[in-house]
Amino acid sequence: MVKILYLLDCYPQLYCPGQLNMYFSKKAFVWCMLHSCYSSLVLFFIPWGAIQDTVRDDGRDIADYQSFASLAQTCLLVVVSAQLCLDTYYWTTVNHFFVWGSLAAYFAITFTMYSNGMFLIFTSIFPFIGTARNSLNQPNAWLTMFLTSLLCVLPVVALRFILMQIRPTINDRVRYKMQKDTLPAPPPRRPVRRVSTRRSGYAFSHSQGYGALVTSERFLFKRPIKSRLAFSVQPDGPLARNLPQVFRPIAEELHESQSSKS
Amino acid sequence: MGKAKDRTGPLARRPDNSAFKQQRLPAWSPMLTANTVLPFFYLLALMCLLLGVWLLLTVQSTQELKLDYTDLGSCSECYELRKNVSYAEQGCRCKVEFYIDQTFKGDVFFYYGLRNFHQNLRRYMDSRDDAQTVGRESQLKNPSTYCEPFIKDKDGVPIAPCGAVANSMFNDSFSFNYQTSSGHIMPVPLLRKGLTWYTDKNIKFRNPKTGNQTLAQVFEGTRQPLYWQKPVYDLDPSDPTNNGFINEDLIVWMREAAFPNFKKLYGILNRAGDPFTHGLPKGNYSIQISYNFPVQPFQGRKLVVLTTLTWFGGQNLFLPIAYLVTSSLILLMAVVLTVAWWKFGKDGKNMKE
Repeated sequence: MVKILYLLDCYPQLYCPGQLNMYFSKKAFVWCMLHSCYSSLVLFFIPWGAIQDTVRDDGRDIADYQSFASLAQTCLLVVVSAQLCLDTYYWTTVNHFFVWGSLAAYFAITFTMYSNGMFLIFTSIFPFIGTARNSLNQPNAWLTMFLTSLLCVLPVVALRFILMQIRPTINDRVRYKMQKDTLPAPPPRRPVRRVSTRRSGYAFSHSQGYGALVTSERFLFKRPIKSRLAFSVQPDGPLARNLPQVFRPIAEELHESQSSKS
Repeated sequence: MGKAKDRTGPLARRPDNSAFKQQRLPAWSPMLTANTVLPFFYLLALMCLLLGVWLLLTVQSTQELKLDYTDLGSCSECYELRKNVSYAEQGCRCKVEFYIDQTFKGDVFFYYGLRNFHQNLRRYMDSRDDAQTVGRESQLKNPSTYCEPFIKDKDGVPIAPCGAVANSMFNDSFSFNYQTSSGHIMPVPLLRKGLTWYTDKNIKFRNPKTGNQTLAQVFEGTRQPLYWQKPVYDLDPSDPTNNGFINEDLIVWMREAAFPNFKKLYGILNRAGDPFTHGLPKGNYSIQISYNFPVQPFQGRKLVVLTTLTWFGGQNLFLPIAYLVTSSLILLMAVVLTVAWWKFGKDGKNMKE
C-alpha cells in the first residue's frame, strides 16, 4: 500500500486511466458481457458434452441431473478462482488464505450439504445426497473441470499479454519498470520522532501559522528552545514567515539539529 | 517512544506498527512476462495433446452396440398397440435380433435408453416425495402435496410411491439369448443387482420398518401408482433386499437424468459360466422384449445399449476430441503471442516511456 502511494507520487500519469474512465466505461462493460457470455457457454456445454452419454467406471449413473449440476457448479468455482488469481496483483499470506480457503470451504460445504446426516434431518431441502461423493471421484469429472478452466482462463491471459505487447498501458509500463530496476525502499515521508521542528506536519501550512506568536516579545529575546515537543516553531523557519515548509531527507536534518543544539 | 505512552493522549487509537496493520506484508507480485507466459502456453498445448491422444485411445478401446427397438421387426406391432391407451393392460412381447462381430472383452453392461424423454422437466422432478421413499411411517400414508395429482387414487387411497417420477417408471423387460455355434439357444445371464449408487440403495431409499409384518402388510392402506402393473412390494418378491422401495430398477429410474436422451443401467453380464467368462462372444443374439412403455405420445425412441467400460467411462468421444481441439487452439495462440512479443515487446522496446 505504501508502495502504491509512493508510485502515485512518482508517476502521476497513473491517475490517467481513472480520469479517462478506462476501466469503467461502456466499452469495458461490453467486453465484460462478451467475456461472461463466452464463459457461460463454455461452463455449460463442456460438462454437457462430457457427461451426456457417459457412465461411471463401474457402469452406474453419472449423467443424472444432480451430478451434472454439481459438476457444472464445481467447474464454475474453479474458473472463478482461477480468474481471481489472475486479477490479484499482490499475493500476501492473506490473499493465499482467502483464495485457497474459499475453495476448501466450497468443497467442505458441498460435502456437508450432500451428506447422509443432512438428508436424514432435512429430507426435502437436501435431496442431493451422495452426489458429490459419487461424481467427484471420477477422473472424467476432473478432466472436464481442467478443460473448462483452460478454455475460460487462457483467452484472458492471452488477451492481456497481447495488449501488453502491442498497447501497454501506463500501469503495465510502471510495473515493468518496477520489476526491471528494483527500486530502493521509498524514503519515509516524515519521521515519527519530532526532534527537529522543521518537520512538523504540513497541515500547519493551511492554517494561519504562528507568526504572531513568534514575533511577539516572548520569543524575540530568548534563545530558540531546543524542543522535543511537537508543534513548536523555529523563529526563522518558514512557518514563522507563513511560508510552506520544504521537506528534507533525514541526513541533512540530523546535521541541522546538531547545529541547532550547539 | 514506547507504545505505553501512546495509550493515552491524542495518539491512543493509532493502529499497531505491525506489518499486517500497516499493510507492509511481504507480497509476491506476479506479472505476465514473456518468459513465463510463452513456455506456459507451449507446455499446456503439449499437455492437452497428450491427454487428448491418451483419452482417444482409451475410448476407442471400448466397444458399444446401440439398438433402437421402438418399431424394429416384430416390435412395430407392439408399438402400434401401445399407441392406444385402452390396451394398456394387454401385454405384448416381441423379439429383436442382432449380431456381434467382435467379442466384447471384459465386463459388459446392459442399458436401456430413451430419447426425447425429459426427466429434467422441473414440475416432473418436483413430483416425488423423498421422505416417503426413505421409509418414514408418517409420510407413507400421507405423502407430500408436491406429488399432486399422483398422490391419491380416485377412492382417496394414498399412492406409494407417489409422484410423476415413480408413476412413469420404465417397465419394459428384456431377456437376452445367445445362439451358440451349434445352433443351441442359451440365455445370457445378467446380474440385476448392484446397479445403483451405494448412497441411493442404503440411505436415500429405505422400506418402512417391517418389524414382524411382511412387506405387503406394511404397505396396507396404500395403492400402487396408476401406471404400474404390480404393487411396490411385488417388484421382486424373491429377494427381500430388492423389494419395495429399495428395488434397484425403481432406484435407477428415480435418479432423474439430466438430458432428454439418456441411458440407465439394466444389468451386468454374469461371467460366471461358459461361454461368457471372457465377455460376450461374437455371434447371433436375440432379445425377448416385454414391450410395455409407450413412447409414441412424446415421439420418443427406445434403445438397448451394450457396452464395455474403461476407467474413463463408456464410449464418449467428446472429451478426447475437445482436448485435441483445445491443444491446437492453444498452440495457435502461443504462436500468435510469440510473434506479437517478438515484433513488439522483445527487450522491453514497447515499454519505453
